[in-house]
Amino acid sequence: MEESRVAPPGRAAPELPGPFAVGTYARKLQGWMRERARVQLIGEVTGVGRSKVQAYFELRDAEGAVPCAIWLNDLEKAGLDGAGLRDGAEVVISGGLDYYPGGGQASPNFCFRATHVRLAGEGDLIARLEALRKQMRAEGLFELQKQLHRPLLPKAIGVVTAERGAARRDLVAALERRGWGGSLIWGFAPVQDRHAAPAIGMALQDLAARPEVEAIIVTRGGGSLADLWAFCDETLCRTVAMLRVPVVSAVGHERDSTLIDDVAAVACSTPTHAAEAAVPLDCLAARESLERCTVALRRAGEGAVGTRSRHLGALARGPARALQRERSKLNQKIREIRAASERGLADRASSQRRIGTVVLERARRRAVGADMDKRRDALHRAAVALRAHEPERTLERGYALVEDPDGEPLTSAAEAGAAERISLRFSDGRVRAKPERDGAA
Amino acid sequence: MDESERNPSATARPDSYEAAVERLEEIIDRLDSGQAGLRETLDLCSEGKQLVTYCAAELDEVGAGLKELRLDDLAAKLDTASDAG
Repeated sequence: MEESRVAPPGRAAPELPGPFAVGTYARKLQGWMRERARVQLIGEVTGVGRSKVQAYFELRDAEGAVPCAIWLNDLEKAGLDGAGLRDGAEVVISGGLDYYPGGGQASPNFCFRATHVRLAGEGDLIARLEALRKQMRAEGLFELQKQLHRPLLPKAIGVVTAERGAARRDLVAALERRGWGGSLIWGFAPVQDRHAAPAIGMALQDLAARPEVEAIIVTRGGGSLADLWAFCDETLCRTVAMLRVPVVSAVGHERDSTLIDDVAAVACSTPTHAAEAAVPLDCLAARESLERCTVALRRAGEGAVGTRSRHLGALARGPARALQRERSKLNQKIREIRAASERGLADRASSQRRIGTVVLERARRRAVGADMDKRRDALHRAAVALRAHEPERTLERGYALVEDPDGEPLTSAAEAGAAERISLRFSDGRVRAKPERDGAA
Repeated sequence: MDESERNPSATARPDSYEAAVERLEEIIDRLDSGQAGLRETLDLCSEGKQLVTYCAAELDEVGAGLKELRLDDLAAKLDTASDAG
Protein backbone atom coordinates (compact mmCIF):
# COMPACT_ATOMS: atom_id res chain seq x y z
CA MET A 1 0.00 0.00 0.00
CA GLU A 2 2.72 2.37 1.04
CA GLU A 3 4.69 1.57 -2.07
CA SER A 4 1.75 2.49 -4.29
CA ARG A 5 1.89 6.03 -2.90
CA VAL A 6 5.46 6.51 -3.87
CA ALA A 7 5.65 8.32 -7.13
CA PRO A 8 8.16 7.15 -9.67
CA PRO A 9 11.17 9.39 -10.09
CA GLY A 10 10.33 12.58 -11.97
CA ARG A 11 6.60 12.25 -11.47
CA ALA A 12 4.36 13.85 -8.86
CA ALA A 13 2.46 11.55 -6.52
CA PRO A 14 -1.10 12.09 -7.73
CA GLU A 15 -2.67 10.62 -4.55
CA LEU A 16 -1.08 13.25 -2.17
CA PRO A 17 -3.08 16.38 -1.33
CA GLY A 18 -2.26 19.55 -3.16
CA PRO A 19 -0.50 20.99 -4.85
CA PHE A 20 -0.77 24.00 -2.52
CA ALA A 21 0.67 27.40 -3.06
CA VAL A 22 3.95 27.49 -1.16
CA GLY A 23 3.19 30.85 0.45
CA THR A 24 0.00 29.45 1.85
CA TYR A 25 1.91 26.44 3.13
CA ALA A 26 4.60 28.65 4.67
CA ARG A 27 2.07 30.70 6.58
CA LYS A 28 0.32 27.57 7.84
CA LEU A 29 3.73 26.25 8.91
CA GLN A 30 4.37 29.48 10.77
CA GLY A 31 1.06 29.15 12.56
CA TRP A 32 1.73 25.52 13.45
CA MET A 33 5.14 26.36 14.87
CA ARG A 34 3.88 29.22 16.93
CA GLU A 35 1.33 26.89 18.49
CA ARG A 36 4.08 24.71 19.88
CA ALA A 37 4.68 24.83 23.61
CA ARG A 38 6.75 27.64 24.93
CA VAL A 39 9.83 26.42 26.84
CA GLN A 40 13.11 27.49 28.40
CA LEU A 41 16.44 26.44 26.91
CA ILE A 42 19.89 26.62 28.39
CA GLY A 43 23.14 26.64 26.47
CA GLU A 44 26.12 28.58 25.29
CA VAL A 45 25.68 31.61 23.07
CA THR A 46 27.70 31.54 19.86
CA GLY A 47 27.72 33.55 16.62
CA VAL A 48 26.01 36.63 17.97
CA GLY A 49 24.90 39.05 15.28
CA ARG A 50 22.59 42.02 15.27
CA SER A 51 20.26 43.70 12.83
CA LYS A 52 18.43 46.92 13.40
CA VAL A 53 15.62 45.25 15.26
CA GLN A 54 16.83 41.93 16.58
CA ALA A 55 19.81 39.93 17.66
CA TYR A 56 20.66 36.54 16.19
CA PHE A 57 22.71 33.82 17.79
CA GLU A 58 22.97 30.09 18.15
CA LEU A 59 22.37 28.38 21.44
CA ARG A 60 24.37 25.17 21.59
CA ASP A 61 25.86 22.48 23.70
CA ALA A 62 27.80 19.32 22.86
CA GLU A 63 24.79 17.56 21.39
CA GLY A 64 23.24 20.20 19.18
CA ALA A 65 22.22 23.78 18.51
CA VAL A 66 19.17 25.86 17.75
CA PRO A 67 19.15 29.16 15.80
CA CYS A 68 17.71 31.86 18.01
CA ALA A 69 16.54 35.40 17.65
CA ILE A 70 15.39 38.05 20.11
CA TRP A 71 13.96 41.47 19.50
CA LEU A 72 16.30 44.15 20.67
CA ASN A 73 13.68 45.69 22.93
CA ASP A 74 13.25 42.29 24.66
CA LEU A 75 17.00 42.10 25.00
CA GLU A 76 17.07 45.55 26.52
CA LYS A 77 14.35 44.58 28.98
CA ALA A 78 16.50 41.61 30.00
CA GLY A 79 19.40 43.96 30.69
CA LEU A 80 21.62 42.17 28.20
CA ASP A 81 21.79 44.72 25.46
CA GLY A 82 25.18 45.95 24.45
CA ALA A 83 27.88 43.39 25.28
CA GLY A 84 25.62 41.48 27.66
CA LEU A 85 24.78 38.89 25.06
CA ARG A 86 28.21 37.66 24.00
CA ASP A 87 29.76 34.58 22.57
CA GLY A 88 30.52 31.98 25.21
CA ALA A 89 27.91 33.23 27.64
CA GLU A 90 25.76 30.58 29.25
CA VAL A 91 22.18 31.80 29.04
CA VAL A 92 18.67 30.65 29.71
CA ILE A 93 16.16 31.77 27.10
CA SER A 94 12.39 31.57 27.16
CA GLY A 95 10.28 31.41 24.02
CA GLY A 96 9.03 29.14 21.31
CA LEU A 97 9.40 28.08 17.72
CA ASP A 98 8.88 30.64 15.02
CA TYR A 99 9.09 30.68 11.30
CA TYR A 100 9.47 33.65 9.05
CA PRO A 101 7.96 32.70 5.72
CA GLY A 102 9.91 35.30 3.82
CA GLY A 103 8.49 37.05 0.82
CA GLY A 104 9.12 37.91 -2.74
CA GLN A 105 12.67 39.07 -1.92
CA ALA A 106 13.20 38.02 1.71
CA SER A 107 14.46 34.56 2.57
CA PRO A 108 12.49 32.36 4.90
CA ASN A 109 13.95 31.78 8.28
CA PHE A 110 13.35 29.36 11.08
CA CYS A 111 14.35 30.27 14.65
CA PHE A 112 13.58 29.92 18.30
CA ARG A 113 12.05 33.24 19.12
CA ALA A 114 13.30 34.23 22.53
CA THR A 115 11.12 36.64 24.41
CA HIS A 116 13.30 36.63 27.48
CA VAL A 117 16.94 35.89 28.10
CA ARG A 118 19.08 35.81 31.23
CA LEU A 119 22.58 34.71 32.02
CA ALA A 120 22.57 31.23 33.44
CA GLY A 121 22.77 31.34 37.21
CA GLU A 122 24.82 29.10 39.46
CA GLY A 123 21.80 26.89 39.97
CA ASP A 124 21.23 26.49 36.21
CA LEU A 125 24.86 25.57 35.63
CA ILE A 126 25.00 23.20 38.57
CA ALA A 127 21.88 21.45 37.34
CA ARG A 128 23.38 21.11 33.88
CA LEU A 129 26.68 20.02 35.30
CA GLU A 130 25.01 17.35 37.41
CA ALA A 131 23.17 16.01 34.40
CA LEU A 132 26.44 15.77 32.45
CA ARG A 133 28.20 14.25 35.42
CA LYS A 134 25.53 11.59 35.83
CA GLN A 135 25.65 10.72 32.16
CA MET A 136 29.45 10.50 31.92
CA ARG A 137 29.76 8.53 35.13
CA ALA A 138 27.23 6.06 33.77
CA GLU A 139 29.43 5.68 30.69
CA GLY A 140 32.42 4.87 32.88
CA LEU A 141 34.37 7.88 31.65
CA PHE A 142 35.45 8.90 35.15
CA GLU A 143 37.47 5.71 35.65
CA LEU A 144 39.60 5.65 32.49
CA GLN A 145 42.17 8.24 33.57
CA LYS A 146 42.35 6.85 37.09
CA GLN A 147 43.49 3.50 35.72
CA LEU A 148 46.54 5.03 34.06
CA HIS A 149 49.96 4.60 35.64
CA ARG A 150 51.34 7.83 37.07
CA PRO A 151 55.14 7.78 37.15
CA LEU A 152 56.82 8.71 40.39
CA LEU A 153 59.48 10.71 38.61
CA PRO A 154 58.38 11.98 35.18
CA LYS A 155 61.09 13.55 33.04
CA ALA A 156 58.72 15.76 31.06
CA ILE A 157 55.40 17.30 32.02
CA GLY A 158 52.91 19.11 29.83
CA VAL A 159 50.92 22.02 31.22
CA VAL A 160 47.80 23.60 29.80
CA THR A 161 47.05 26.99 31.28
CA ALA A 162 46.74 30.67 30.46
CA GLU A 163 50.00 32.22 29.44
CA ARG A 164 49.63 35.13 31.80
CA GLY A 165 47.90 33.37 34.65
CA ALA A 166 49.12 33.25 38.24
CA ALA A 167 48.77 29.47 38.11
CA ARG A 168 51.81 29.29 35.87
CA ARG A 169 54.01 31.02 38.44
CA ASP A 170 52.70 28.91 41.32
CA LEU A 171 53.30 25.73 39.38
CA VAL A 172 56.92 26.51 38.55
CA ALA A 173 57.62 27.54 42.15
CA ALA A 174 56.14 24.30 43.47
CA LEU A 175 58.15 22.13 41.08
CA GLU A 176 61.37 23.92 41.98
CA ARG A 177 60.67 23.51 45.69
CA ARG A 178 60.53 19.74 45.10
CA GLY A 179 63.89 19.89 43.37
CA TRP A 180 62.38 18.81 40.06
CA GLY A 181 64.22 20.17 37.05
CA GLY A 182 62.82 18.21 34.12
CA SER A 183 61.21 19.49 30.95
CA LEU A 184 58.08 21.57 31.28
CA ILE A 185 56.18 21.93 28.03
CA TRP A 186 53.66 24.74 28.07
CA GLY A 187 50.52 24.39 26.03
CA PHE A 188 49.05 27.86 26.48
CA ALA A 189 45.34 28.23 25.85
CA PRO A 190 42.53 30.62 26.75
CA VAL A 191 40.78 29.42 29.85
CA GLN A 192 37.59 31.45 29.91
CA ASP A 193 35.72 32.06 26.72
CA ARG A 194 33.93 30.17 24.05
CA HIS A 195 37.25 29.32 22.44
CA ALA A 196 38.65 27.96 25.68
CA ALA A 197 37.33 24.41 25.68
CA PRO A 198 38.34 23.58 22.07
CA ALA A 199 41.77 25.20 22.55
CA ILE A 200 42.36 23.35 25.81
CA GLY A 201 41.29 20.11 24.20
CA MET A 202 43.65 20.69 21.28
CA ALA A 203 46.58 21.50 23.55
CA LEU A 204 45.90 18.40 25.62
CA GLN A 205 45.86 16.18 22.56
CA ASP A 206 49.06 17.73 21.18
CA LEU A 207 50.87 17.29 24.48
CA ALA A 208 49.66 13.72 24.91
CA ALA A 209 50.93 12.95 21.41
CA ARG A 210 54.50 13.79 22.45
CA PRO A 211 56.19 10.58 23.57
CA GLU A 212 58.32 12.22 26.24
CA VAL A 213 55.35 13.70 28.09
CA GLU A 214 54.48 11.49 31.06
CA ALA A 215 51.86 13.66 32.78
CA ILE A 216 49.79 16.72 31.92
CA ILE A 217 48.55 19.43 34.25
CA VAL A 218 45.50 21.52 33.39
CA THR A 219 45.16 24.53 35.60
CA ARG A 220 43.63 27.94 36.00
CA GLY A 221 42.80 30.20 38.90
CA GLY A 222 39.50 30.51 40.69
CA GLY A 223 36.30 32.08 39.46
CA SER A 224 32.58 31.59 39.29
CA LEU A 225 31.20 28.41 37.82
CA ALA A 226 30.35 30.42 34.72
CA ASP A 227 34.00 31.52 34.50
CA LEU A 228 35.12 27.92 34.82
CA TRP A 229 32.45 26.60 32.53
CA ALA A 230 34.91 25.76 29.75
CA PHE A 231 36.24 23.02 32.03
CA CYS A 232 32.78 21.53 32.20
CA ASP A 233 32.58 21.27 28.45
CA GLU A 234 31.38 17.83 27.53
CA THR A 235 33.57 17.48 24.45
CA LEU A 236 36.67 18.58 26.33
CA CYS A 237 35.96 16.21 29.19
CA ARG A 238 35.37 13.29 26.85
CA THR A 239 38.71 14.12 25.21
CA VAL A 240 40.47 14.11 28.57
CA ALA A 241 38.90 10.77 29.50
CA MET A 242 40.33 9.14 26.38
CA LEU A 243 43.91 10.45 26.68
CA ARG A 244 46.69 7.92 27.23
CA VAL A 245 48.62 10.30 29.49
CA PRO A 246 47.39 10.97 33.03
CA VAL A 247 45.90 14.42 33.47
CA VAL A 248 46.11 16.32 36.73
CA SER A 249 43.46 19.01 36.99
CA ALA A 250 43.67 22.06 39.20
CA VAL A 251 40.87 24.33 38.09
CA GLY A 252 39.51 26.99 40.37
CA HIS A 253 39.74 26.82 44.10
CA GLU A 254 38.97 24.08 46.52
CA ARG A 255 35.24 24.73 46.58
CA ASP A 256 34.97 24.69 42.78
CA SER A 257 34.20 21.42 41.17
CA THR A 258 34.28 21.18 37.41
CA LEU A 259 33.61 18.23 35.19
CA ILE A 260 37.25 17.95 34.18
CA ASP A 261 38.05 17.23 37.83
CA ASP A 262 35.83 14.17 37.60
CA VAL A 263 37.40 12.73 34.47
CA ALA A 264 41.04 13.59 35.31
CA ALA A 265 43.38 11.05 36.88
CA VAL A 266 43.81 13.38 39.87
CA ALA A 267 41.90 16.51 40.86
CA CYS A 268 43.76 19.10 42.90
CA SER A 269 42.66 22.32 44.51
CA THR A 270 45.69 24.45 43.63
CA PRO A 271 48.55 24.53 41.11
CA THR A 272 50.92 23.72 43.96
CA HIS A 273 49.06 20.52 44.71
CA ALA A 274 48.93 19.75 41.00
CA ALA A 275 52.72 20.00 40.84
CA GLU A 276 53.02 17.53 43.70
CA ALA A 277 50.55 15.16 42.05
CA ALA A 278 52.32 15.33 38.70
CA VAL A 279 55.73 14.74 40.30
CA PRO A 280 54.88 12.56 43.32
CA LEU A 281 58.54 12.23 44.23
CA ASP A 282 60.07 15.01 46.28
CA CYS A 283 63.46 14.95 44.58
CA LEU A 284 65.28 16.66 47.43
CA ALA A 285 63.92 14.21 49.99
CA ALA A 286 64.63 11.34 47.58
CA ARG A 287 68.30 12.32 47.35
CA GLU A 288 68.58 12.33 51.13
CA SER A 289 66.82 8.97 51.25
CA LEU A 290 69.27 7.57 48.70
CA GLU A 291 72.15 8.78 50.85
CA ARG A 292 70.67 6.91 53.81
CA CYS A 293 70.23 3.80 51.67
CA THR A 294 73.85 4.01 50.57
CA VAL A 295 75.02 4.23 54.18
CA ALA A 296 72.70 1.39 55.24
CA LEU A 297 73.96 -0.84 52.43
CA ARG A 298 77.59 -0.07 53.20
CA ARG A 299 77.03 -0.81 56.88
CA ALA A 300 75.17 -4.00 56.10
CA GLY A 301 77.92 -5.21 53.79
CA GLU A 302 80.78 -4.30 56.08
CA GLY A 303 78.86 -5.45 59.14
CA ALA A 304 78.06 -8.79 57.61
CA VAL A 305 81.71 -9.44 56.82
CA GLY A 306 83.06 -7.88 60.03
CA THR A 307 80.66 -9.62 62.37
CA ARG A 308 81.20 -12.95 60.72
CA SER A 309 84.93 -12.37 60.63
CA ARG A 310 84.97 -11.73 64.37
CA HIS A 311 82.75 -14.74 64.90
CA LEU A 312 85.04 -16.88 62.78
CA GLY A 313 88.04 -15.54 64.71
CA ALA A 314 86.37 -16.50 67.94
CA LEU A 315 85.59 -19.91 66.53
CA ALA A 316 89.19 -20.29 65.36
CA ARG A 317 90.45 -19.46 68.84
CA GLY A 318 87.94 -21.83 70.36
CA PRO A 319 89.88 -25.09 70.02
CA ALA A 320 93.05 -23.53 71.48
CA ARG A 321 91.06 -22.23 74.41
CA ALA A 322 89.38 -25.57 74.87
CA LEU A 323 92.76 -27.29 74.82
CA GLN A 324 94.08 -24.80 77.35
CA ARG A 325 91.10 -25.44 79.57
CA GLU A 326 91.53 -29.17 79.34
CA ARG A 327 95.25 -28.82 79.95
CA SER A 328 94.58 -26.79 83.08
CA LYS A 329 92.12 -29.37 84.28
CA LEU A 330 94.62 -32.08 83.59
CA ASN A 331 97.37 -30.26 85.48
CA GLN A 332 95.02 -29.78 88.38
CA LYS A 333 94.25 -33.48 88.39
CA ILE A 334 97.93 -34.25 88.27
CA ARG A 335 98.56 -31.99 91.21
CA GLU A 336 95.72 -33.57 93.11
CA ILE A 337 96.93 -37.02 92.27
CA ARG A 338 100.46 -36.13 93.28
CA ALA A 339 99.30 -34.73 96.59
CA ALA A 340 97.14 -37.73 97.18
CA SER A 341 100.00 -40.00 96.23
CA GLU A 342 102.34 -38.29 98.61
CA ARG A 343 99.81 -38.57 101.38
CA GLY A 344 99.22 -42.27 100.89
CA LEU A 345 102.74 -43.24 99.89
CA ALA A 346 103.84 -44.61 103.27
CA ASP A 347 100.71 -46.62 103.73
CA ARG A 348 101.02 -47.93 100.30
CA ALA A 349 104.71 -48.78 100.77
CA SER A 350 104.11 -50.73 103.96
CA SER A 351 101.17 -52.37 102.45
CA GLN A 352 103.22 -53.26 99.44
CA ARG A 353 105.94 -54.51 101.68
CA ARG A 354 103.49 -56.68 103.55
CA ILE A 355 102.15 -57.93 100.36
CA GLY A 356 105.67 -58.58 99.14
CA THR A 357 106.55 -60.50 102.25
CA VAL A 358 103.50 -62.61 101.96
CA VAL A 359 104.18 -63.22 98.35
CA LEU A 360 107.81 -64.07 98.97
CA GLU A 361 106.91 -66.33 101.79
CA ARG A 362 104.43 -68.03 99.64
CA ALA A 363 107.00 -68.35 96.93
CA ARG A 364 109.61 -69.55 99.28
CA ARG A 365 107.22 -72.03 100.64
CA ARG A 366 106.29 -73.10 97.25
CA ALA A 367 109.95 -73.39 96.29
CA VAL A 368 110.97 -75.26 99.42
CA GLY A 369 108.06 -77.61 99.17
CA ALA A 370 108.91 -78.47 95.66
CA ASP A 371 112.60 -79.06 96.52
CA MET A 372 111.77 -81.30 99.40
CA ASP A 373 109.48 -83.33 97.31
CA LYS A 374 112.17 -83.70 94.71
CA ARG A 375 114.75 -84.66 97.31
CA ARG A 376 112.30 -87.00 98.91
CA ASP A 377 111.67 -88.66 95.64
CA ALA A 378 115.41 -88.92 94.91
CA LEU A 379 116.06 -90.30 98.38
CA HIS A 380 113.35 -92.77 97.94
CA ARG A 381 114.74 -93.81 94.62
CA ALA A 382 118.27 -94.04 96.15
CA ALA A 383 116.98 -96.03 99.07
CA VAL A 384 115.29 -98.41 96.71
CA ALA A 385 118.51 -98.71 94.72
CA LEU A 386 120.61 -99.12 97.82
CA ARG A 387 118.33 -101.65 99.21
CA ALA A 388 118.62 -103.56 95.98
CA HIS A 389 122.38 -103.66 96.50
CA GLU A 390 122.35 -104.48 100.25
CA PRO A 391 124.04 -107.91 101.10
CA GLU A 392 121.01 -108.68 103.18
CA ARG A 393 118.87 -108.65 100.01
CA THR A 394 121.24 -111.15 98.49
CA LEU A 395 121.41 -113.15 101.73
CA GLU A 396 117.60 -113.16 101.77
CA ARG A 397 117.71 -114.84 98.45
CA GLY A 398 119.82 -117.70 99.99
CA TYR A 399 123.38 -116.57 99.65
CA ALA A 400 125.91 -116.42 102.54
CA LEU A 401 128.68 -113.95 103.20
CA VAL A 402 132.10 -115.24 104.31
CA GLU A 403 133.71 -112.97 106.93
CA ASP A 404 136.74 -113.18 109.17
CA PRO A 405 136.29 -113.13 112.86
CA ASP A 406 136.47 -109.36 112.79
CA GLY A 407 133.63 -109.21 110.39
CA GLU A 408 135.68 -108.33 107.42
CA PRO A 409 134.41 -110.04 104.27
CA LEU A 410 136.63 -112.72 102.77
CA THR A 411 136.14 -112.45 99.09
CA SER A 412 138.37 -115.34 97.87
CA ALA A 413 138.97 -119.03 98.57
CA ALA A 414 142.56 -118.22 99.25
CA GLU A 415 141.69 -115.69 101.95
CA ALA A 416 139.19 -118.11 103.48
CA GLY A 417 141.63 -121.04 103.31
CA ALA A 418 144.22 -118.95 104.99
CA ALA A 419 142.00 -117.86 107.83
CA GLU A 420 141.86 -119.80 111.07
CA ARG A 421 138.36 -119.25 111.54
CA ILE A 422 135.63 -117.92 109.40
CA SER A 423 132.10 -116.76 109.90
CA LEU A 424 129.27 -117.52 107.52
CA ARG A 425 126.71 -114.86 107.59
CA PHE A 426 123.17 -115.84 106.56
CA SER A 427 120.17 -113.68 106.42
CA ASP A 428 118.87 -115.08 109.60
CA GLY A 429 122.20 -115.26 111.54
CA ARG A 430 125.85 -116.27 111.64
CA VAL A 431 127.58 -119.65 111.68
CA ARG A 432 131.20 -120.00 112.79
CA ALA A 433 133.31 -122.47 110.84
CA LYS A 434 136.90 -123.67 110.52
CA PRO A 435 138.17 -124.24 107.03
CA GLU A 436 139.68 -127.64 106.24
CA ARG A 437 142.78 -127.66 104.32
CA ASP A 438 143.95 -130.26 101.79
CA GLY A 439 147.08 -132.42 102.37
CA ALA A 440 149.14 -129.74 101.43
CA ALA A 441 147.63 -127.83 104.10
CA MET B 1 71.01 -23.03 44.12
CA ASP B 2 71.77 -21.43 40.84
CA GLU B 3 73.16 -17.89 41.06
CA SER B 4 70.50 -16.45 38.82
CA GLU B 5 67.77 -18.15 40.85
CA ARG B 6 69.16 -16.88 44.10
CA ASN B 7 69.42 -13.33 42.97
CA PRO B 8 67.44 -12.92 39.77
CA SER B 9 67.22 -9.13 39.76
CA ALA B 10 70.82 -8.44 40.75
CA THR B 11 71.85 -7.51 37.25
CA ALA B 12 68.48 -6.58 35.76
CA ARG B 13 67.89 -2.88 35.07
CA PRO B 14 64.78 -1.65 36.90
CA ASP B 15 61.72 -0.81 34.83
CA SER B 16 61.21 2.52 36.57
CA TYR B 17 62.29 4.66 39.46
CA GLU B 18 59.40 3.42 41.57
CA ALA B 19 60.27 -0.20 40.81
CA ALA B 20 63.87 0.49 41.84
CA VAL B 21 62.81 2.20 45.07
CA GLU B 22 60.38 -0.58 45.89
CA ARG B 23 63.08 -3.21 45.44
CA LEU B 24 65.54 -1.09 47.40
CA GLU B 25 63.11 -0.92 50.32
CA GLU B 26 62.70 -4.70 50.20
CA ILE B 27 66.46 -5.08 50.31
CA ILE B 28 66.89 -2.73 53.26
CA ASP B 29 64.06 -4.47 55.14
CA ARG B 30 65.65 -7.84 54.49
CA LEU B 31 69.04 -6.64 55.64
CA ASP B 32 67.54 -4.97 58.71
CA SER B 33 65.79 -8.23 59.63
CA GLY B 34 69.17 -9.85 60.20
CA GLN B 35 67.86 -13.03 58.60
CA ALA B 36 70.05 -12.91 55.51
CA GLY B 37 73.12 -15.10 55.42
CA LEU B 38 76.54 -13.83 54.36
CA ARG B 39 76.19 -14.75 50.68
CA GLU B 40 72.69 -13.29 50.46
CA THR B 41 73.77 -10.16 52.34
CA LEU B 42 76.62 -9.52 49.94
CA ASP B 43 74.34 -10.15 46.94
CA LEU B 44 71.70 -7.81 48.34
CA CYS B 45 74.27 -5.11 49.03
CA SER B 46 75.58 -5.40 45.49
CA GLU B 47 72.08 -5.23 44.02
CA GLY B 48 71.19 -2.35 46.32
CA LYS B 49 74.21 -0.35 45.22
CA GLN B 50 73.21 -0.84 41.59
CA LEU B 51 69.70 0.36 42.37
CA VAL B 52 71.03 3.40 44.25
CA THR B 53 73.22 4.21 41.25
CA TYR B 54 70.23 3.87 38.93
CA CYS B 55 68.02 6.06 41.14
CA ALA B 56 70.76 8.68 41.48
CA ALA B 57 71.11 8.79 37.69
CA GLU B 58 67.34 9.20 37.33
CA LEU B 59 67.37 12.05 39.83
CA ASP B 60 70.31 13.62 38.04
CA GLU B 61 68.24 13.68 34.85
CA VAL B 62 65.74 16.02 36.50
CA GLY B 63 68.30 17.79 38.66
CA ALA B 64 69.88 20.11 36.13
CA GLY B 65 67.19 22.78 36.42
CA LEU B 66 63.76 23.34 34.94
CA LYS B 67 63.70 23.45 31.14
CA GLU B 68 60.67 25.39 29.94
CA LEU B 69 59.51 24.70 26.39
CA ARG B 70 56.52 25.91 24.43
CA LEU B 71 54.30 23.47 22.64
CA ASP B 72 53.92 26.00 19.80
CA ASP B 73 57.71 26.14 19.30
CA LEU B 74 58.05 22.36 19.38
CA ALA B 75 55.25 22.02 16.85
CA ALA B 76 56.89 24.69 14.64
CA LYS B 77 60.24 22.87 14.79
CA LEU B 78 58.49 19.65 13.89
CA ASP B 79 56.84 21.35 10.92
CA THR B 80 60.19 22.82 9.81
CA ALA B 81 61.85 19.45 10.06
CA SER B 82 59.02 17.86 8.07
CA ASP B 83 59.31 20.49 5.39
CA ALA B 84 63.09 20.06 5.22
CA GLY B 85 62.67 16.29 5.08
